[in-house]
Amino acid sequence: MEILKIGITGTVGAGKTTFVRSISEIDVVNTDRVASDETALMKATTTVAFDFGRLTLNSGQILHLYGTPGQFRFNFMWDILMPKVHGYVFLVDTSRPQDFRASRRLLNYMKQKTQSPLIVGLTHADSHKAWKSEDIALTLGLSNFVTKPPIIEVNATNSHSVAQCLILLVEQLIQQGINVV
Amino acid sequence: MVQSSVLQDSLQRFVSSTPDIQGAALVSPDGLPISSILSSDMDEERTAAMSAAILSLGERIGQELARGLVERIFVEGEKGYSILVSCGTEAVLLVLAGKAAKQGLLFLETKRLVAEIKPLLH
Repeated sequence: MEILKIGITGTVGAGKTTFVRSISEIDVVNTDRVASDETALMKATTTVAFDFGRLTLNSGQILHLYGTPGQFRFNFMWDILMPKVHGYVFLVDTSRPQDFRASRRLLNYMKQKTQSPLIVGLTHADSHKAWKSEDIALTLGLSNFVTKPPIIEVNATNSHSVAQCLILLVEQLIQQGINVV
Repeated sequence: MVQSSVLQDSLQRFVSSTPDIQGAALVSPDGLPISSILSSDMDEERTAAMSAAILSLGERIGQELARGLVERIFVEGEKGYSILVSCGTEAVLLVLAGKAAKQGLLFLETKRLVAEIKPLLH
């Protein structure tokens, strides 16, 4: 049985590290460092290489989760990680419209690196500042896509919600003919 | 307040006075440039981010695979060496050297530079 490699990506502060931590059954290999750029205004630490976690589904299928860094200066890590993933979750913080443009750029970058299926995970959707899913799809330029990826709300701090998100992605992989147990 | 011109001078002296050392960069642990002497075809921002990433992974290996405190990361290439050392909690030092460099001298001089730079970062 092949291990499925799943990328968890998105802009700074979208919830990538939290997402991997919430669901991993092993201690997450994290590479957090104290943030000293504008990231420090949002959170204390930032991922500088990748987060690695593992999850075994009920069927026995093993998922390896790779959380990427969010800042553009780490794009060499995106180049290393993304071409190898079977599918990926693209996280967007719905309460930070100022980041939507960066999200769109990042999504286009990822699409160049991999043709693998993706789903869009909307975080902080319970915030009063949260944008609606269809508006975000529009700002990300997804509404024009022939095959619009599924968009789902996800609470990155909640393992049940994260599991739902990954199951949806695995279903996408099956639809695309990727061998999943 | 960090004296960036003093740091730059330290790096410059290090690069020009040690034989076969081709460049040096001081970066923050989250991958931002602090000060560097690099050849013009090397992008300072990318170099900074890569340095932080590999040092963090190396330190992770030291920790998880019970190798203890990591003294340095040493990348041996066909054309030369890259050395990464932690400079306290505030910075990471990258040293680039040619293949002809003597490793013992390289490590020694790097250590000396770290000792010189560390107090400047506080």
